[in-house]
Amino acid sequence: MVPTIFYAACAIAAAGLALLLMQSGSKFRTGATILGLAGIAWILVIVVQTIPTPASEMGPLGLMILCAFVSVASAVRVITHHRPVFCALYFVLVVVSGAAIYVLLSAEFVAFSLVIVYAGAILITYLFVLMLAQQSPADIGSADAVDYDRIAREPAGAVIAGFVLIAVLGGSVFSVSEQKAESILDQNRAIRQGWSDLSMMPKLLLEQARRTDSTVTAVVARTDGQMIAVQTDHSAIISVERAGQMTPTDLTLAPSLLPDNTSRVGMALVKRFPVSLELAGIILLMAMLGAVVLARKQTDIADDDRRALAGLGKVIDGSQSSQGKANR
Amino acid sequence: MNQELSSGFTIAANAPIAVALAISALLFVIGLVGFLCRRNMIIMFLCTELMFQGAALAMIAFARLRMDVSGQVFVIFILTVAAAEAALALALVVLLYRKRETLSADAWSDLGES
Repeated sequence: MVPTIFYAACAIAAAGLALLLMQSGSKFRTGATILGLAGIAWILVIVVQTIPTPASEMGPLGLMILCAFVSVASAVRVITHHRPVFCALYFVLVVVSGAAIYVLLSAEFVAFSLVIVYAGAILITYLFVLMLAQQSPADIGSADAVDYDRIAREPAGAVIAGFVLIAVLGGSVFSVSEQKAESILDQNRAIRQGWSDLSMMPKLLLEQARRTDSTVTAVVARTDGQMIAVQTDHSAIISVERAGQMTPTDLTLAPSLLPDNTSRVGMALVKRFPVSLELAGIILLMAMLGAVVLARKQTDIADDDRRALAGLGKVIDGSQSSQGKANR
Repeated sequence: MNQELSSGFTIAANAPIAVALAISALLFVIGLVGFLCRRNMIIMFLCTELMFQGAALAMIAFARLRMDVSGQVFVIFILTVAAAEAALALALVVLLYRKRETLSADAWSDLGES
């Protein structure tokens, strides 16, 4: 039963988007907007209804649905607005609301880097190029945008293709709810991983130990050679030296001292994906070189001038460079 | 016990994750539709960035589901690739604009077969 309703919601959202892309009168447009929003709301309601939610999670869920509307509506504006500069600005809105969703999914570091890299760097580059390549007002004539920004190319076909894809993807969204049993195992693994990440960062480990007990002077390896022993209640035991004590003693760290998101991402980046990190640097360098080579002003140099630059003489009657040298 | 854990370690309810996946699918599809429909080359590339956004959001949602930061690391690489792609694509657009004095993709339809 659920798939049929879901397909209906998809069809409504698709119809709204297609009508918006066809760009008719303003009254028509309001109706299309309402239709599209209703379709999206219906899709979200179906998704939320399928999966039972505890009351404590309702707050984050509400915020996420709010962000969902902002990001999807501004994404639609990106592809329907006539003026490219406004499209870029709406894309900034998509990125910012996306970052809010990342924070709700407890990925703080990526959220901030998303805002910095996308909204700060990439979008500014887009705006630069838009300004650079904008047609001068005289070419446009009136205040209205140029033809190729106003008239969409085959909106109906594109929308049908897109929403058939989303109807297929919807099935996989529904199957997420089957995962609860595995989650406990995931949590235990994540906590072990978190403590082991912390033990790799001696300075932070000492800081956390001091936060628990301010007399700690150093963290040492435990008798079994490990830095850290994880308990079943998610706390961890480390071995520390205290001021005025000769032998190391045990100290229990509460689970609230687990490393935060930024430390964990940094640790994973350096420890688990070091080669990818280097490759990312190489990709960026190559992109920079490529952009410089591509966007450089290409001046036409005549053959003779090019030969002069290379220190060769002029060509006479297609003869080769040996003769050219003699001429010089 | 769970109150003591920082949020990256607690088991999330599945509904927010499902909503995030729905948003990511919608963003991807809207980007796809935009890429097919728009005729301005810069906006077409902007739509590919929209598709990147959808993919990255799915990565973050699954990273939350499995409580594993690898997904977030992947998003950082996606950001890298997107930045590189934007630099190259925009350089190409500037090059094409100099040749034909228009941003319309139709100006280059003579590259196709028909």
